[in-house]
Parts: sequence; C-alpha cells; structure tokens
Amino acid sequence: MKLKKPNWSLISIAVFLSFVLGLSVGPVPISFFEMSSTDRVILFNLRLPRSLSAFFVGGGLALAGAIFQGLFRNPLADSYLLGVSSGASLGAASAVVLGLASPVASFAAISFFAFLGSLMALGVVFYLGQRNGGFSIFRLLLSGLGVGLFLSSLVAILMLMAGEELKSLIFFFLGGFASSSWDTTWASLGLVPLAVIIACYFAPELNVLLLGEETARSSGIRTDRIQLLYATLAALLTSISVSVAGLIGFVGLIVPHMIRLIFGADHRTLFPLTFFSGGVFLVLCDTAARIIIAPAELPVGIVTSLLGVPIFLYLIGKEPGDYTF
Amino acid sequence: MNRRIAIQAQELSFNYENERILTNISFSIGAGELVALIGPNGSGKTTLLRILLGHLRPSAGEVLLDNRRMQVYAPKQRAKTISYVSQQIGVNFPLTAFELVSLGRFPHASRFRFSTADTSSVTKALDATGALHLSKRNFTTLSGGEQQKVLIARALAQSARILLLDEPTVHLDLYHQLQILSALKRQCVEQQTTVLTVLHDVNLISLFADKALLLGSGQLRACGAVAEVITERNIKELFGVDMKAVEDPETGLRFFIPRDPFRSTIEQT
Repeated sequence: MKLKKPNWSLISIAVFLSFVLGLSVGPVPISFFEMSSTDRVILFNLRLPRSLSAFFVGGGLALAGAIFQGLFRNPLADSYLLGVSSGASLGAASAVVLGLASPVASFAAISFFAFLGSLMALGVVFYLGQRNGGFSIFRLLLSGLGVGLFLSSLVAILMLMAGEELKSLIFFFLGGFASSSWDTTWASLGLVPLAVIIACYFAPELNVLLLGEETARSSGIRTDRIQLLYATLAALLTSISVSVAGLIGFVGLIVPHMIRLIFGADHRTLFPLTFFSGGVFLVLCDTAARIIIAPAELPVGIVTSLLGVPIFLYLIGKEPGDYTF
Repeated sequence: MNRRIAIQAQELSFNYENERILTNISFSIGAGELVALIGPNGSGKTTLLRILLGHLRPSAGEVLLDNRRMQVYAPKQRAKTISYVSQQIGVNFPLTAFELVSLGRFPHASRFRFSTADTSSVTKALDATGALHLSKRNFTTLSGGEQQKVLIARALAQSARILLLDEPTVHLDLYHQLQILSALKRQCVEQQTTVLTVLHDVNLISLFADKALLLGSGQLRACGAVAEVITERNIKELFGVDMKAVEDPETGLRFFIPRDPFRSTIEQT
C-alpha cells in the first residue's frame, strides 16, 4: 500500500481557485479588475457570503461524515444517511412553526433547535443500531434511513400546518445557498473552525478507537467521553449546515471516502484534509448548481445526490457482508 | 524461585444483574510468567480479564498490579502497565500494519509528534512477533495469522510489563499458533513480560505455559504449575471429556489425546 503525503500548498491553491470560480459565476458578469459599485455589492454582499457559506457547510458536512465513520467504524456512515440531518431539519422547522423569535425566527434559535433535533435523531439511531455492544453496518444504516424517513414525514406535516411560513420550511428540505447572507455566514465562520480544531486535537484517540472499544480502553482512553464528544461535534456540524443551507446529502460520504483512498485512514490527516476538500467540493457543486439550468438554479442537494448515490451504491456493493465488530 | 508479583487477585467476585458471574477468586502471578487461563465457554474468563484490565469493577475483592491497587492507576498510567489483545477485531479502514502497531504508542507518544523512540518501539514489536516484513501492507489484506501477529505487536508496542490476551490462537493454523505462542514465550523469558492468556488447547498449554488457572462456573477450580493442574482428572471435571495423558519421551512434557465421547453410541447403532 502506497500512500501520498498531503501537499498543503496544492490544497491552498485548490481552495483559492474554487473561490475565484464561485465568485465569478453568476447572472451578472463581473470583472474583478474594473468593478462598479453595484458589482462590489454583488460580490461582497451576495457572492462572497454565499461562497463562504458553501465552503464551511461543505467542510462541516464532510467532517461530520468522517467523524461518524470513525465513531461507528463504518465507511458508509454520513449525517444524511444516519437521519441526523433530518433530525436537524425537524428541529429547525419546529423553531419556525413555534414562532420562536417571531415574526422571523432568528438564526440562533433555528440552529439551537436544529442541534437538539440532530442530537435526538442520533440518540435514537445509536440505540437502534446497536446489538450486543457492536454496530452492524446494515443495522445502523437501516435504522438511520428509517429514522430519517420518519422525521422527514414530521417535517412534511409541519409544512402543511405552516401556512404562510411554508416557503421558509421548504428551505429545510431542499437546501441551497441562494439566500445566504452575512447573517447566516458568521455563525458557521465561528463555530465550524472551532469544531474542526477540537476534532483534530482528539484525532489520536479516535484512531485507537478504530480498533474497538476494548482495545481503546486498554490503551488508556476514556472511550465513553471521546464518543460523546465526537457525537456532539458531528451533530453540531450537521445542525449548523442544515440551518445555513438545508438538507444536503452525501458530502460526508463522498469526500472522506476519496481522501481515505489517497491519504489513508489516520484521522490526524484525514480530518483537516476532509474539511478543506469538503469545502472546495461544495463550492464547486454550488457553482455547478447555478450553471446547469441557468438562469434558474438547481438546489445544490440535487447536485450532491447525483454524484453521491452512485458512490454510495458502489460502496454497498463492496461490503463483504453483514458483520458486527 | 522468588519472583516479584505482577498480578494479584484478592477474593474477586462479580455479579451482573443479580447473577453471580465470578465467586471469590484469588491468585497471584509472578513477573515473567506465562500463565494460561482455561475453562469452558461461559465460565467467566472474559469477565475475569476485564476486571484485571480495570474495565470492570469487581463487586467484591481487589486487584493489585505491580503491588499497587487498581484504583490508584489513571487510565494512561494503567495502559503503560498492562496491555490487552482482544478477540480478533475487524478493521474497516485502510491502515498499514505499521500504522496499526503505532496506535499502541498512544499512552506514551505526544499527540502529534511520533518520536524516533516511538518508531523504534514499533519496529521492535513488529520484529518480536515476526511481522516486520508486513509493515507496509494494508492490514485488511493480511491473512488471519498475519493479522494476529500485527495485533499482538500493537499490544507489545504499548511497552507494558503485563500482557493479557483473549484466545490469541483461535482461527489460526497450526504453524501460526506455534509461532505466536513462542513469540509470547520469548517475550516472557527475554523481557520479563508477564503474560496471561486464554487458551483452549491443553497441549499448547503443556508446551508453552508455566502455570494454569482453571475456571469453572465462575470459580477457580485449580491454580498452579501446569504439570500439577492440567491432569486427566481436572480436564474430566472441567469439560466432562475423557483425555488420555501421554508423556513425550523427548521433552518429558505431558500431552493429551482426546477420546471420542460418542464412540460407544456409534458402535451400538
């Protein structure tokens, strides 16, 4: 097995280029060299927060996926497939319907409820996916899909009850960055990097946990604390992403899978690489979503699903069988 | 021989949901000994290992590691004293054998820098189990025997003076069984590591172990030198099977030939 060493200057260039692309594509052509005042408004108040949001949501979702995969020792885990995103969208939708901070529910209240929703969904999936102290790959996935479908139905009921706020609820189903502004970008700018740093700091513990709880405990790790910490981090990243951009699936599946193929499974490199690549990936997907049926826009979740489902099916085909460990 | 005591169990009992799993177990193991733990399925072997590792708290009694009570050890400190090889585990991610063994350095290594001392411990551990040539291979592509060598190397890289193993030879072919046990034996003799391992094969116990602990329905049935406790009578009592003892003229060791317990019923029909 030959693994590449990450090349950080190449990664910075990729991040930079994705932003150049994300900032230059749109209905109004903008020249970076001769900017009018409207160009400046479009660039700094519309496209920049949009690209930054896409970057942090993509990075956050990819990292959440990598965390779930490490936590469940299962390369198929992802916020969307585990139903955690649906939990977050139910939380966010209830915040809107309950009229918290009415007339327009504030972003903080929405994120907080999304966080509670995602924790609840994760708790249920954790409980259902477990048997004899181990997580079976398919039991976990089926529990996640079941919980996700159930919670999405609840969101649908809320939508029918919502009346006037229907439009803002639909957002939590079919997400996107069309309405991104600085108000929603600040939150992800602050919280996501913090979560990334904490996740990277405890990466050695999660590495040992890949060998199972017994081995990790005998290596001097307080496994329950580490598991709780990472579950909370992944739920937090998922709920921020859902609050900013609604449901976006498969980013957490595709990106860590690719990174692992090239750079290996060590979480100390996997986590930072996954974060940056996830960010670049979603900025590119969001740009594609604006181009494909221009002048209209596709929800970015549709672009990620179109790319993600084939990879997901390929990974399922590769699974040797339903074993617990 | 006057050995330093590495593990001491004092009147250990363990209850789980009003059920008695272990009753009043006391024994001591000297430093550098290779001790086999043998008993029928469900006799409480794994529970006993978990208590000795400090993962389970006994309902009564106490464990001393290196003459210090289990409770005084912080988790990382405990990991530097006692390491563990669990029953075989599946790893779903692409880790090389070297990376996997490096994980054993967790209680010693700094968070983000792997020192040259760490690297040499890993290399030494891989060498000790005869797995050094596998260093760069992906763990998931190794055979069962090769994987087990790597997993034991991981525990050795933890540089603990005591090593516990749960059925390290299960699912392995004869060659790998012998290779793994002789690597453990060498570790005991050369490094003064204390090894306690669950083993089901009485002949392997005769060949490699210094002492044996016999566990039956949660009680210690016998504990002592292999020649004294692995006997026809004890095997019959513990497992309900007849085995005939034969002495190997070359080594003077006692080996056991099983008798088919169903033979009489087959002959009748």
